[in-house]
Parts: sequence; C-alpha cells; structure tokens
Amino acid sequence: MTALAAVRRRSSGHGALIAGAIVVSLIVLGFASGRLEARKWEPFLLPSTWRFLGEGLLVTLTVAGASLLLSLTFGLLLGIARSHLRGPLGWIVSASIELSRATPILAILLIVLLVLLRSGLTQNAIIAGIVGLSIYNSAVVAEIVRAGIGSIARGEVEAARSLGLSYAQTMRAVVLPQALARMTPALVSQVITLIKDTSLLFIITAPELLSFGRSFYNYYGNLLETYIVIACIFFAINYPLSRFSRRLEARQPTDERLHIVGEEDQALIPAMPHRGTSP
Amino acid sequence: MGFPVFDENAHLFGQGYLTTVVLSAGALALSLVIGTVVASARVWGGPIVQSFSRAYVEFFRNTPLLVQLLFIAVLLAPRNLNVTREPIVAALIGLSIYTGAYVTEVVRSGILSVDPRQIEAARSLGLSQVEALRFVVLPQAVRTVIPPLGNLSIALVKNTAIASGIAATELLKVAGIIESRTGLFTPYIAVLVAYWTLTLPLAWVVSRLERRLAFAR
Repeated sequence: MTALAAVRRRSSGHGALIAGAIVVSLIVLGFASGRLEARKWEPFLLPSTWRFLGEGLLVTLTVAGASLLLSLTFGLLLGIARSHLRGPLGWIVSASIELSRATPILAILLIVLLVLLRSGLTQNAIIAGIVGLSIYNSAVVAEIVRAGIGSIARGEVEAARSLGLSYAQTMRAVVLPQALARMTPALVSQVITLIKDTSLLFIITAPELLSFGRSFYNYYGNLLETYIVIACIFFAINYPLSRFSRRLEARQPTDERLHIVGEEDQALIPAMPHRGTSP
Repeated sequence: MGFPVFDENAHLFGQGYLTTVVLSAGALALSLVIGTVVASARVWGGPIVQSFSRAYVEFFRNTPLLVQLLFIAVLLAPRNLNVTREPIVAALIGLSIYTGAYVTEVVRSGILSVDPRQIEAARSLGLSQVEALRFVVLPQAVRTVIPPLGNLSIALVKNTAIASGIAATELLKVAGIIESRTGLFTPYIAVLVAYWTLTLPLAWVVSRLERRLAFAR
C-alpha cells in the first residue's frame, strides 16, 4: 500500500469528516427547502428544551434496555430449545420464531396493544411497546443463537461427550462460550435495529422521544428542525454502536460469521478488500 | 352478494396488498439505482465524494425509518416544497433512500470482493475497461451481492408497514381502517397472513440462493 493510499484510508474512516459532510448536507437541504430560519432553531439553545427532550430520550432508552434484556433472556432460551427440541414441540417453537421474524414489527406492536387493551390487562402503551419489541427481538435473538450453536463443529460436541461430559455440561462449557463469541457482532447489530424500532412506539401513542418531539414542535412550530434534531440524537447513539459492531465483525474470521436472513442491519456481507482499497 | 360490508372490505384489503407490493418493488428498484451510484462514488470517487457517500450511508442507516418518512412527508407537503401531499410518494422516496444506504454497502462489498488485479489482467489480455467490468467483475460481484440483496428485500417488505405511520394506505393501515369500522380483530390476522405470503417465499428463495452460491464458490 502506498503512503497516499494509507492517508486516504485513514481520512475516509474519520468520523469528523463524516460529521462535516452530514452537517453540510443538512444545511444545503435546509436552504434548498427555504426553511432554514434561525428563529426556528433558537428553541434548541434553551436548556429547558434539552431537559424536555432528555425526558423523552430517557423513556426511549428505558424501553430499549428493557426490551433488550427480555429479548436476550427469551431469545437464548428459545434458541437453545429450537436447536435441541425434536417432534411437535420443536416444530411449534420453530414455526413461531419463523413467523414472528416474517412479520413487520409494527404489526406486532399494534396487535399487542389491541390485545392488551381488549383483554383489559393494561392501557399502558409503553408496556405494550416493550412486549411487542421483545416478542419480535426474542425471535431474532433465537435465530442468532441457533445459528451460533449450529456453527460449532459437531466433532467438538462428540469429543466432549466421549470425554464423559453430560449434555448440559457440554453445552455450558464447550458450545455456548464459543457460540456466544460468534454471536456478539450480530447481537450488537440487532441492538441498533432495536433502538431505531423504539421510535415506532410513537405510532402506538406511547410517550417516547418522538412524541416528546411532537409536543415540542406543536409549541414552537418547527417541525422539520425537530425531526432533524431527533434524527441526530438517534445517530449519536447508533453510530458508535455500528462502528463497534463493524470492528467486532472485522476481527471475526469469515467462516465464523453468522448469516441472519431478513434483517437489514444483518444483511451486510463483510467487504473483502484487496490491496489498498479502503475498508 | 349478501355481504356488502365484506365485499367493500375485501376490495380495500386487495388495494392495500397491491400498495404494499408496489411500494416494495418500486423502493427496491429505486434503492438499487441509488445504491449502485453511491457505491461507485464511494469506491472510485475522490476523497470529498467518498466522505459524502459515506455520510449518506451512515446517517440513514443509523436513524429510524419512521423519522425519515415523517421528515420527507412534511418536506414534500404543500406548505414546504409543495411537491405532493400524497403519502405513498413520500413513503416510496423514504423507503428508497433508507434501503439505498444498505444497498450501497452491499454493492460496495460486491465490487471490492473482486481483486483489482483481475481487471489489470483482463486489460492486458486486450479487453476494454467496459468489457473487463462486464465480463470479469460483474459476474463475480453479482454472485456476492445477490443473497444480501434478497435479504434486504425481505427487510424492505416488512419496512413498508412503517409507511402506515405517515397515513399511506398499505396493508397495515387498511387493517386499522377495517378494524375501526367493524370492531373486528380478524383484519389483523388477515394482514399477518398477507405479509407472510410475501416474506416467507422470499426467505425461502434467499436461503436456497445462499446455499447454491456457497457451493459454487
């Protein structure tokens, strides 16, 4: 690799340059739409604005955290069950995982809300949101777990069993530790999807960041500006996560990468750069 | 027939299904165009072009689709750019831009998966640059790119549901309309099955392709 290529490689990977390009694009867009009035941005200089939006962000992050915890727990159990159960029970587990993953998450959220409302269990849209997000993401985590367990060579299990380890011991001491390591990049990618999907709680009228944004722009009349700021808040959370997941992926040998079908944040095949092409 | 309500709802449902299919297909086509152009800019462009295409990819991948759709719908509305108040158009544009960011990454890794020395070899054998791209790079890049693109199209079909958030009357919105009219829960069941008729066959095709192309490699 030439020195120039090395410099270019470093600069094209530089976050500041990307941030600059985003800011320039947004300003150009603002001018092009003729809506970039200083007056409309002024509310964002007030500390009270950030306290208000911060409250919404807190709800969003709480929902994401709770859903993540539930999805990891149930996803792990379902994934292990799916890898090992045979017969009708295994078939039911597989079918429910596959059907959940084949459904738009917004449809799941709406149905959960409706079921909870009609059964009189709760009227709390946030709880409906957490349940809906957890159902969908448990299914995805289960698929990741299954792919992780399936990627461990059969010989390792056979060797462990023939050394006298019980089935549970083999899983705990041999299969799961390796599978978990292979699953990590896929799981981090799924966290990005999950954080983006919390915005859908807006549609089922749960008071998350976007709903707080609506109260805010209804007061100040700065719709587009508020959307841009909210998008930037999400970006500030997700961009470091996506960099982290890419670094994990890059460290992973190609044959240990898991292929999870039907999730946009899982769809990317890792680039196989040749000779000095940028990453 | 004896069930005017059912007939009307079935008609509405059919329209919603068609809208979802058209929205998915249209956004897929547009995102392929966007993705190919931006990926080429990213691979062969200068440093400034590169950082802009990178910014596009990173920004749209890491922000919620719903926020993007709301922004575009408001931007196109009469009191701003005055382009259209039709939510379907905003949804089509938004879905294309969002999915285009992912397609860019896929196409880029497709291009990078072919060793540039192969182009040099083809050129020295007398092929023109275009011929080298057409006969050497493209067939190999397509092989790398097809399974992840299939993957993205499944995600895209599911993401069209979010267009109901800007009042585009696709499947999910139709279910909501019928549910509020009749108080029945069944439209939601029907809508689930309708989505499965799109996503499950796609998933089956993608996993078959993945297996076949894995053997071919």
